[in-house]
Amino acid sequence: MIVAAGWYMALAAALFLIGALGLLLRRNALVMFMCIELMLNAVNLTLVSAGRALNDLNGQVAVFFVLVVAAAEVVVGLAIIVAVFRRRATASVDELSELRG
Amino acid sequence: MIEITTPEVSWIAILPELVLALGAVGVLLVEVQWKPATRVLGAISAITLVIAIFFTFLQWAQAGDALEVGGLDELVAFSGMIVMDGFAVFGRFVLLVMAGLGLLAGWRLVERLNRRGAEAIALVLLATTGFSIMVASNNLVMMFLGLEIGSISLYILAGLTEEKTKADEAAMKYFLLGSFASAIFIYGVALLYAGTGQLEILAIRQFFTEFIVTRPAVILIGLALIIVGLGFKVSAAPFHSWAPDVYQGAPSGVVGYMAAMAKIAGFLAMARILLTAVPQLDDSWLPVIAGISALSMLVGSTIALVQSDVRRLLAYSGVAHAGFILTGIVGGATTGMLFYVTVYAIQLIGAFAVVAVVSGPSSSGSSIDEYRGLARRSPALGAAFAVLLLGMAGLPLTSGFVAKFGVFSEAWANGYGWLVIVALLASVISFAFYLRVIVAMYMDETEEEGIVVSLAARWVLTIAVAGTVLAGILPAPLIDLAADAFSL
Repeated sequence: MIVAAGWYMALAAALFLIGALGLLLRRNALVMFMCIELMLNAVNLTLVSAGRALNDLNGQVAVFFVLVVAAAEVVVGLAIIVAVFRRRATASVDELSELRG
Repeated sequence: MIEITTPEVSWIAILPELVLALGAVGVLLVEVQWKPATRVLGAISAITLVIAIFFTFLQWAQAGDALEVGGLDELVAFSGMIVMDGFAVFGRFVLLVMAGLGLLAGWRLVERLNRRGAEAIALVLLATTGFSIMVASNNLVMMFLGLEIGSISLYILAGLTEEKTKADEAAMKYFLLGSFASAIFIYGVALLYAGTGQLEILAIRQFFTEFIVTRPAVILIGLALIIVGLGFKVSAAPFHSWAPDVYQGAPSGVVGYMAAMAKIAGFLAMARILLTAVPQLDDSWLPVIAGISALSMLVGSTIALVQSDVRRLLAYSGVAHAGFILTGIVGGATTGMLFYVTVYAIQLIGAFAVVAVVSGPSSSGSSIDEYRGLARRSPALGAAFAVLLLGMAGLPLTSGFVAKFGVFSEAWANGYGWLVIVALLASVISFAFYLRVIVAMYMDETEEEGIVVSLAARWVLTIAVAGTVLAGILPAPLIDLAADAFSL
């Protein structure tokens, strides 16, 4: 069975939307962070399927860079979330509301 | 025997970044090995920045030579990843100077961090590396990498304090919304790639001159997402919600640097993508940028009126400034925008240097009450802050006036008269909240005693005030430089 590249891109768009909505609607920092990862993976799927459809290697190579960036974000992001959790014993962004004006 | 020919590498195209990255690693290694005094690390970072700035001069000369003989291809290095045009070199130079000022402004924070001060210095250098790559990249994935190297360093800097403050909340908010923006940006890049088959900015422009796209939906959605992603980074309305919280919570020693770097690189990247890669689509993006610009100016300057915290006030004024700078992009030329970004970055770093002196380098939040009677506690500090705020407001004879005049006249000439009228209205409103701070500093009485301003902070403020006044009275040299720094 051959699936046209358009379907992969549509799936990627759906994943990206799920990630974006999740980030906007969920209140747990870890879940929000997972949503960002989901968005980045949707980007990867788009790049791979576009690269395949265009018969162009650039899209496939770009995926490696996005993966590396995602990994670097995990390192920093988890450290920040752990630092917040240690001080406040909560990872809910609703309870992070000391900054306002 | 197989001969392998090594490709010619034009190292000069990335020499400033190489020096910066080596400097950052060097600071960390020296700290681990010898645990020297913080002053030694400062000297290493200063030398690094000076060498990097020296290389930007070399690049500037080489870019000029290449233009004269018409060898535009020579300006593109690393198989089209890096471009060394005047625009990139100018942006780099500004970023490097701001990094130096930012380090000076945050020096007391570095000293207080003690053994972790080296991390702060290294992160400043790394963030500069990233943003500098971003303004010099000719490839959208490269631009994304630069953006992330810079942004991830800033997320850490936003939470780097020795005290238990609200900085962790600021770091978390900055991280979540910043990563969200990055993901939106790279998805836009992926869609633009899917639509055009190109990742290189110059190749995308080539694509649009050669082909007429009949169904541009994917390309336009991609472009819109790129604008949204970069709009977040430069805190343009309606994507500005993170800025006030982050500016308020992050240690005041680094806020000016953080804000200035993200804005310089974000605007330059936006101008490069919109004006170099997709000028053919300007029917589609000009109205969007004009709308974002108008919204930013109005939202920023009206909400700033009701702020009781100087940092939030500066954050909302930053939203308004993002709108003003975007009018430069609407004007279709980069000269006014480059000038504006440069003078605004200096004012921003200077203003937050004052905040760092008044509220302490690692504090979160600085209520306007702390500034009451500041002019009596320290006349020089009060005067410096007043000049910087008036410069931001755009009083004649300050750099802000020249900058605003430049971008507004470009937008007017490009047929966006309504936007200029909105901008003038917003400028008038913005005088009100800047004057509120100045009135509090000069009119109110205070019982508090004088403030000791550290030597580093004095240097930053002297440079920032001198820059603001000089560029206001004699703007021609900087404008000429910006006019030469057009993008390929």
